Formats: sequence, structure tokens, C-alpha cells
Amino acid sequence: MAACTRGLKNLLTSIKFCRTLQFQDERFLCTSALRFANNEPPKFVPPSKPVIINKTQTTASTRRFLSPEFIPPRGRTDPFKYFMERRDMVRRRKALNIPEFYVGSILAVTMADANASGKTNRFVGICIQRGGRGLGATFVLRNILNGQGVEICYELYSPRIQTIEVLKLEKRLDSNLMYLRDALPEYSTVDPEMKPVPFSPTGEVPVNKLKVKMCPKPWSKHWERPQFAIQGIRFDLCMTPKQMEFVQKKYAKPWEEYDMLKEYDTSKLEEQIFAEVQQEMNK
Amino acid sequence: MAASGWRFVLHRGSRFILSRTTVESSSQLVGCIRTVKIPTWFEEHLTEDNQKYMRHSMAEEYRRQTAEKLCPLKDEPWPRHEWTEGSRRVGLVAIKLGMAPIWTKSGERHAVTMLQVQDCHVIRCTSKEEYDGRSAALAVGGKNVSPFYRSEKAMELFRNAGVPPKQKVTIFKVSDNAIIKPGTPLYAAHFRPGQYVDVTAKSIGKGFQGVMKRWGFKGQPASHGQTKTHRRPGASGPGGDPAKVFKGKKMPGKMGNVFVTAYGLKIWRVNTKYNVLYVHGSVPGHTNCVLKVRDTVLPTRRSTLLNPPFPTYFTEEEGDLDEDLYSDDLFVHTEPSVTLS
Repeated sequence: MAACTRGLKNLLTSIKFCRTLQFQDERFLCTSALRFANNEPPKFVPPSKPVIINKTQTTASTRRFLSPEFIPPRGRTDPFKYFMERRDMVRRRKALNIPEFYVGSILAVTMADANASGKTNRFVGICIQRGGRGLGATFVLRNILNGQGVEICYELYSPRIQTIEVLKLEKRLDSNLMYLRDALPEYSTVDPEMKPVPFSPTGEVPVNKLKVKMCPKPWSKHWERPQFAIQGIRFDLCMTPKQMEFVQKKYAKPWEEYDMLKEYDTSKLEEQIFAEVQQEMNK
Repeated sequence: MAASGWRFVLHRGSRFILSRTTVESSSQLVGCIRTVKIPTWFEEHLTEDNQKYMRHSMAEEYRRQTAEKLCPLKDEPWPRHEWTEGSRRVGLVAIKLGMAPIWTKSGERHAVTMLQVQDCHVIRCTSKEEYDGRSAALAVGGKNVSPFYRSEKAMELFRNAGVPPKQKVTIFKVSDNAIIKPGTPLYAAHFRPGQYVDVTAKSIGKGFQGVMKRWGFKGQPASHGQTKTHRRPGASGPGGDPAKVFKGKKMPGKMGNVFVTAYGLKIWRVNTKYNVLYVHGSVPGHTNCVLKVRDTVLPTRRSTLLNPPFPTYFTEEEGDLDEDLYSDDLFVHTEPSVTLS
């Protein structure tokens, strides 16, 4: 056994030697040729760098998302005022991570509260509305606890907010889900002990095309009217098509799409602000 | 600006006699034409190239003038005195940018108005004797405007001071030890956080308004027999004894567009780089209106004014202040979240 291995080893070493010899010969040949040509040492060619992929670092979202409160409203205010506010907003975002979320996502917010035990309280709910611009931006979370519907309006930049986590990131068919107040309770119930649902930081945000069943009328607002433009309600279960058509026709404002004073194209402004905010955040 | 004159027109007239206002005999007075004398604006008789050149040269002139005045302590400033109790210092002219929320260290939310001090210069100094015999006065000007639509008489004031023409010129009554040489620039760092100020501005004009909006009268009920009386003032006074309506009776009239002062507003934050003041609560006037800001007159807030920059804040002398000066109890956004205990 030992003899075999020894023999094998000798064989291997001899092969290696031969190989190196061969290589040496080639190298020797090549270098000797150069030497013959230039009378200089051969140029050092560094080996190609290996690409290091750091998998431990949390991948920041590569989705291009600008939070809606950065976009200034249309008005006669000096853009300089919004610039000053944006600086403060970016400073706050560097201290507290405010994640990307949409209306319809499920969030958990922990806030400092002097009257609660442990001085913090945690609330989990579905985001039904994002309002306000600048530092006063707010979002409303809704949940049903012990049969009682609870809505809390949080200010994004308030110093009392300690963490905001997105448990489930998704969009809905509407940008305002206030109609959940008149919908069946099952659509507003969110489990407070819910585990975060993993979502990919790249690609499109999933749109939940859920159509919600409503409680019997009367509702808090006439959600069927065209001014709300709600896509996420099962109107076919609440009203007849004739009633729906009547309401759509009576309260329609067909001239609004031609109203030039209501036009507000924010695309260029959005791009500028996005570039500015990205630059500030990466400093 | 435009002045109108009455002109005499003679019958069969090819001759026009310019006269003052007195009317002579009726035979001569056949027709009177009221004319409006519009002075020539700078653009009227200039070619386009020249107009562009004028605007360009005006901008250059402004820049040169502001640059000249940037170091007031270097070119023969007037003697500076120390701050004493009871001395009044100058104020500033600022522009209302808008409102924003702020939070204190205990998590309470307040609303503040942002005021920006743009191109504030001292225009003229009137000594005690010239002004009213009690205190000296300093005329301070605010936002820069174009010289082309201002009369020569107005421009004279600015030319003497060597500053570009301003939109608003206000007078601050000042104690004798706080007078400043005309042409000195004034900055937002003149006020410090924690101090209280009074802000004066013209309130938003509402036009002719009824008594309910203007004075807060209750009006009358909407139904139960009221005939055509829902927003009327009702009774106008006692009755037979005075048998008159007293002077100053609250009645409908033009509302707003008058100077209103908001007293005792706390300064939460001062941005020295962009010259922005964050002042507590709301302030009269519309956005982008020009305001007059001065130290409070309220006796209970006088103790907060300890060792202010006197007579004003000079950039060269006080060295580099931080870009943002915060009040002690203000929450700064770079700090971590507040934990209440």
C-alpha cells in the first residue's frame, strides 16, 4: 500500500515536473524571444480581478420610487421653501429608515407614548391614505381590534415614531381606501402578530386586484359616484346596473378633462427632485 | 405714478392752452379733456438690443453694489456701542415663504412660518433731532426690484445709500447707540433662536365685506319667518336718548389690506446660510409678501433678549456661525427619535 502510494506520488511529481518543464520551456522560449527582440524585462500583465458580490449587505431597493410627499403641490409658493423642507426631510430619513410603501400595504409602526407600558406602542394596520406634502406628510393605518375599527393617522416625520416596518408591500386598485370603513370587517382586519412577508427589492410592486364587498347602504360617502373613481368595490352586489349608470351619468363632470387650470404635470419636477434626493441620501 | 391734468380746449380750436385747474367764464369753457400724463418708461424709445443691454447692466450694477457692501466693518463704519438695558436696535425686512411643522424635544408639534431676509440694507439714518426729538430713526429697505419703473425721486434715496432699489422701505425707531451707517447689509443672524419678535405686514385684502365676516356678528336665523334678513347687522344703536348712531359703529366696509402686527412670536430656528427665520405661529400677509420684523415690545418677553448682536450682526466680526442655529427645546432632525419617559 505504502509502496503503491509512494510510487503514485513519484509518478505525479514526475508528471508535474514534466509539465512545469514544458511550461518553463515555453516561457523560456517566449521570454528569450523577447529578450532577443528588445533586450528588456517582459511586461507584467496583472491577472484579471475577481468580481466580489457582497451577499451580506442588504440590497437597497433598486426600484425607482419617490415618496409622494416630496412632490410640491401646485401653487404660488417659492420653490425655495420646498427646497428647505426637503433638506429637513432627508436629514430625518437618514436618522430613521422610512421604507417604501403604498396605499394598501400592511405596516407596523412603533411610536413613543408616555402613557403606555414600556413607553412605546406598536400598531399594525393597512394603509388607507397618504396625505400631506413636505414635513407634514401623514399616513392613516386601519385595523379592527376586538371588533372595533381603529384608524390612526401618523406623521411620517414626527420624532415620536421609532420604527416603521412594511409587513406586506402591495398596491391596490385605488390610491385611497377610505371605503374600507363601509366594507365588511374582514377586509380591514389585519393580524397584529403577522410575520413580514418577504418581497423582492426589484421589479414591479404586486397589485392586489381585490374587489371589496360592502355593507348595506347608506355609506359614509357616495362611493359609487364618478368623483371618487373607485375600482376596488363590488358594485354589482350592491346596486343594479341601471342605478349605477344613472349615478355615473348624473354626477359626471365631462368638462373636467378639458380643464386646463387643473392640469399639473409633475414628471419633470419629479425627476429633478428624485435626482436631488438620491444625491443627498447617498452623501 | 401717472399724473392727470385738465386741459382747456378752445372752440374752433387748434390751440390748446395748458392751465391749472381754475375754471374761467362759461363762454370759454367749451370742453375739458382730462389727459393722463404717462412718463416715458425706459423701454419705450429703446431698441431691443438696448433694452437687453439695460437689463444686463442693471444686474451688473446690483451685483457690484451688493459686493461693495459685503464688508461693512472694513470701510469706515460708524462707532459701535455695547448693548445696554433699554436700548432698541434695528429690525429687518423679510419675505413670508410659507409654513411648516416643527417638533419639540418632548414630541409636541407646533407650526412655524418661514421668513427669508433677502437683500436687506440700511438706507438712511435720521438723527434724534431731525426725526421727532425723541429717538433716532433708521430707514431699512427689503427685496430688490427693478429701477426702471421707479421715479427719479425714489431712486435718489437708493443712489445716496449706494444700494439697489428696494420694494419696501420701513422706518425703525432706534436708540442713539444703535445707529448704523447707511448701506450696511442686515442678515437673519441679527435675530437668535429663543428670542421673541413682532411681525408687521399688510393683511390679505378681502374687499368690501358684510358685517358677519368683518366683525363676527351672528346674523339672523335662516328660517322661522325671517324676511330677507339673514346676514344683516340688525339694530344700530340704543334709540331715542342719543338719537344718533355713535362714531365707530361696526358696519360693512372694506376688510383687510391694512397693517397688522403679530406680537410675541418666538424664533425657533435661524438658518444663517440662506437667511431664513423660523417664527412661531402664523403671520399676517399672503405668501411672498414683504414684512417688517423687530424685537418684541412686550414687557414679559424682554428678558429673553440677552446680549443680542448689537447694533447688528456683522459677518466678518462674529466669525462663522453654524449654518443652522436651533432653539434649546427644538428637535433637530438629525437626532434619533424621541423616547418619552
